[in-house]
Amino acid sequence: MEKKISEKTLRKSFRHWFFWHGCSQQAESMLGLAFGQSMAPVVDELYDTKEEKAAGLKRHITLFNTEPQVGSISNGVICGLEEANANGTGTPELISSTKVALIGPTSAIGDSLWVATFIPILLTICLSIAQTSTELAWLGPVLYMLIYPAGTALLSWKLFRLGYRSGIDGMHGFMVTGQLDKLTSSMTVLGLLVVGALTASFVDVSIPFQIVRDVFDPAAGELLENQVIFNADDMLNSVFPGILSLGLTIGVYYLYSLKKWSPLKLMGLILLIAGALTALGYLTGVFA
Amino acid sequence: MEIYQVVLISLFVYLGSIGSIVGNTIGWYTLGRPLVASFVVGVILGDVPTALLVGIPLQIMYMGNVTPGGAVAWDLSYATYIGVAGAIVFGQGMEAAQIIGLAVVFAGIGGLVGQVMWNISYALNLPLNRLAHKYADAGEVNKMYIPNMVLGQLIGFACRFIPAVIVLTTMTTASQQTDFATLIPGWVTTLLGLFGGMMAALGMGIILSFLLKKRYHWAIFLIGFTLVTYFQLDIMAVAVVAILAAILYYTVLSNLPAKEGAEHGKEN
Repeated sequence: MEKKISEKTLRKSFRHWFFWHGCSQQAESMLGLAFGQSMAPVVDELYDTKEEKAAGLKRHITLFNTEPQVGSISNGVICGLEEANANGTGTPELISSTKVALIGPTSAIGDSLWVATFIPILLTICLSIAQTSTELAWLGPVLYMLIYPAGTALLSWKLFRLGYRSGIDGMHGFMVTGQLDKLTSSMTVLGLLVVGALTASFVDVSIPFQIVRDVFDPAAGELLENQVIFNADDMLNSVFPGILSLGLTIGVYYLYSLKKWSPLKLMGLILLIAGALTALGYLTGVFA
Repeated sequence: MEIYQVVLISLFVYLGSIGSIVGNTIGWYTLGRPLVASFVVGVILGDVPTALLVGIPLQIMYMGNVTPGGAVAWDLSYATYIGVAGAIVFGQGMEAAQIIGLAVVFAGIGGLVGQVMWNISYALNLPLNRLAHKYADAGEVNKMYIPNMVLGQLIGFACRFIPAVIVLTTMTTASQQTDFATLIPGWVTTLLGLFGGMMAALGMGIILSFLLKKRYHWAIFLIGFTLVTYFQLDIMAVAVVAILAAILYYTVLSNLPAKEGAEHGKEN
């Protein structure tokens, strides 16, 4: 009789992966042990002898890594291959090599599409809600807490099913149809607009430098004391509002993206600049 | 902070870290995000407005912290839970900009502790491989959860919960000794205010490095920027405009090949 993974076992395998993929992450096998735990019910159902089960488990606790939420598609694909193997139409070598081959593309898509694009965009939208009014500020985090886990769980499960049902070909179709590219570039447009607005609203840089003099006002014929005749911020902002915030952000982008500075180093640099500006402000009398 | 508050916050530090019992989707990517973390701390400490006052800038600052490729650049969960709690405990009577600056500093301390703890748990997890291989060799399908879910979990819990309790208790004790608002010199709070405002550039700069793929993307970014500086729109308004723009962009992209095909048809 042909062997088939039951619906119940598939769900169990997915559940193990979804909740516990990160528990035992380490340098030797990365997410390998979590993958092994998620495959254990499948191996148990498909194979009868102790030896077959041992062999099945052993091939799934080797090195494996991915972006686990989108990467659940790999678990689906491997479930399909195990099923084929149990029915004699696949080989253990095929399973192992496919597993290794899946690491690269699933990590890349997961990280770039979901983690680096979707999460920040959803966060910025919820941030803007939290920002709108003090009374409704709680709505932002609460919405994120509901939408993100529910949406991700659904996506992760659908991808797992897709991987199981249509195997490596189905995954290929999902990745190269171009539909994904269009979606990503549209989300990028959304993200860039909001990030631009966030930069303008939240990045706050000012040069505390001003010149204060007593000025003689010919119209009134009297001496006006302590007039600000030059303010660095007002001057710069009349040229292009927010030019310093923009400059600092682009500077960080440049150092991070092109000069490969670490966030910690950048933090140190910002602290240094803030220190220098504080000193300048006290020297020129802007801060008292 | 009362003892139950320290315990609750420490529990969430653990839940929001990588590999907790609720999974990374609910943990690291939800409870660990500063927007959510600050809200949780606010609820626990009974001061949601202050928590979100510092949580929103922290979220912007750490927006770029998304662990691509599994490399943890900064332990976000530690950073925000400790940062927000520190700002609420020590920031009594300070102005908004200074409370934010304070949160940034405490988040830095928390992030460092978290980073050390992550490295420790990463090393402690290594022997789990031996146990997993032992069970696998014996074909023990029903024991495969032990090295991963049970022991990995316990190590993670010990490495997050215990240090968090220690850090938070120390903070509570320190805050009871003196009134920090009067103790900290004026120039420090000024510096903290400036630093807090500038740190937002860190998150925005890093997130730009993910989003900017083509040269004309700079123009889109600058449209968002000038919508605020020239037209004084608030973020929500820009978000709505951005969603509409993205829908149009998607539609145009989807119709491109079809249009080419139609023109091709006409020529024939």
